[in-house]
Amino acid sequence: MFSSKSLLRSLRQSGQLPVHDFLAPALFAPTSRRCISTTTPKSNASAAAPSNQEGSAAAGTPKPKRKPLTKEQRDFLSSALRVNQAGELAATLIYTAQKPPLVNAHPHLRPLMSHMYEQEAGHLRTFNVLIAKHRVRPTALYPVWSVLASGLGWGTAVLGREAAMACTEAVETEIGTHYNSQIRSLLEMFEGWEAEGYEVGPEFRDLVGTLRRIRDEELEHLDHALENDAKQAKPYWLLTSVIKAGCRGAIWASEKV
Amino acid sequence: MAPTTRAFATRLASAAAATTTKSTTRSTAACLRSRSNRRSYHSHDHPPPPGAFNTAERQILSAAYRHVPDHGFTHKTLSLGARDAGYLDISTNVVPEGPFSLIKYHLVSKREALAPRSAEIFNAPVGGADGATPDAAAGTRGQLLTVPERVERLTWERLLANRDIIHRWQEALAVMAQPSRVPASLHELALLSDEIYHLAGDLAVDPSWYTKRASLSTIYASSELFMTNDCSAGFGDTRAFLRRRLDETSSLAGVVGSIGQWVGFTASAGLNVLRSKGARI
Repeated sequence: MFSSKSLLRSLRQSGQLPVHDFLAPALFAPTSRRCISTTTPKSNASAAAPSNQEGSAAAGTPKPKRKPLTKEQRDFLSSALRVNQAGELAATLIYTAQKPPLVNAHPHLRPLMSHMYEQEAGHLRTFNVLIAKHRVRPTALYPVWSVLASGLGWGTAVLGREAAMACTEAVETEIGTHYNSQIRSLLEMFEGWEAEGYEVGPEFRDLVGTLRRIRDEELEHLDHALENDAKQAKPYWLLTSVIKAGCRGAIWASEKV
Repeated sequence: MAPTTRAFATRLASAAAATTTKSTTRSTAACLRSRSNRRSYHSHDHPPPPGAFNTAERQILSAAYRHVPDHGFTHKTLSLGARDAGYLDISTNVVPEGPFSLIKYHLVSKREALAPRSAEIFNAPVGGADGATPDAAAGTRGQLLTVPERVERLTWERLLANRDIIHRWQEALAVMAQPSRVPASLHELALLSDEIYHLAGDLAVDPSWYTKRASLSTIYASSELFMTNDCSAGFGDTRAFLRRRLDETSSLAGVVGSIGQWVGFTASAGLNVLRSKGARI
């Protein structure tokens, strides 16, 4: 009697019988796996922006002005856009080079590889537009990165599926950290402006939004790589540490030249 | 050394100029400290950084610039300019680099004048100036031209801006070629070619970004040198020279591009043949 009462109560609350949870967990458990096309919606990234702006507008002068960028800020922004363009170029080439050998050996990876390539190509287009709009020079090492990235992609794909995924994992880990530090510096810049009573223009709000969206998509690739046995690559520690060191070196060099 | 010079310049400017206000003096000190702005991130939203010259410098230099056709790029011109602007003759010390500042003023002001001029040329309706009926539906004149044509037009406009001082320009080139002045001069040249490609609407951000600007800089510098000895009416010979150089560059670029395309095609075709034979590459 008592147990049937509690069963009814839980049925009313949850709308489904509790027994299903252990009989067929896959049917009812909320799906925690990400679908291939999942990206964070853009509105999510820029949602925090307007409230800040209104706050400073209400507190300060009726029409807040925008501050001219200092030399350090302009240098930071140009090296940031330059290194991002170089990074997305390399990512596009890595996937381009990985795809034929990998898909040949494992045809089921074709939709995943095409999807990741499409996203990287979209990022590259975004940064090409930004770099032309803001008159930043592209990296002088462009041909070097092209050759190295194609070589890396092709080499890891020939080593096998696990090695290719370990390469993706290493690259995306570094890229995710890199985008995070850029977003942090930009937010610090905004805080500085707002503390002085200046306004942050929509140009910079959009830039942070774009960086956040791209970062999330890169981290999604990281998840895909882990789902596809990146950790089982044979000399895993060697592959990932070499590739990570290479990424850091490339980021450092692209920021300079 | 540097702080004393700066302090001296500040004191000098404030003492010499009865007409200058306190804010001018303050900006003199601030701008003497900041070097010419390096080319980097260009914001469309936030106000631009201060220009290469401050108010006092700009007053003296623009007044002196009117004397350049008669007296060349010299200290004498600067003194005349300072007197015209209402400063003492000695206040030319406010201009730190002497005659070179005058040359730089010419380069910077003519480069900055290129943007409004380009809007004037390229936004004009089609057929407006040629006597035909203006036709707004056909779009603006700039839309009919390709990027290389717009580059040629803008480079020519910039060369024409040298018209009034061209007989003094060889002296200026000699000053610009002094080893200590070479980096600043080359920097100005790079800014000019970047400005021309930007105004021409070129959006390429691959390695051709460098080759285009380098070749345009070379062509501009040689055309300028040619112009100093050009006696033809309306500098027609210079324009023909400029067009020949630009055509040569574009045909060279075409050859290089075709070779690259052929190599790329052959390599990928070879790779695909190997793949079709079953090679796991």
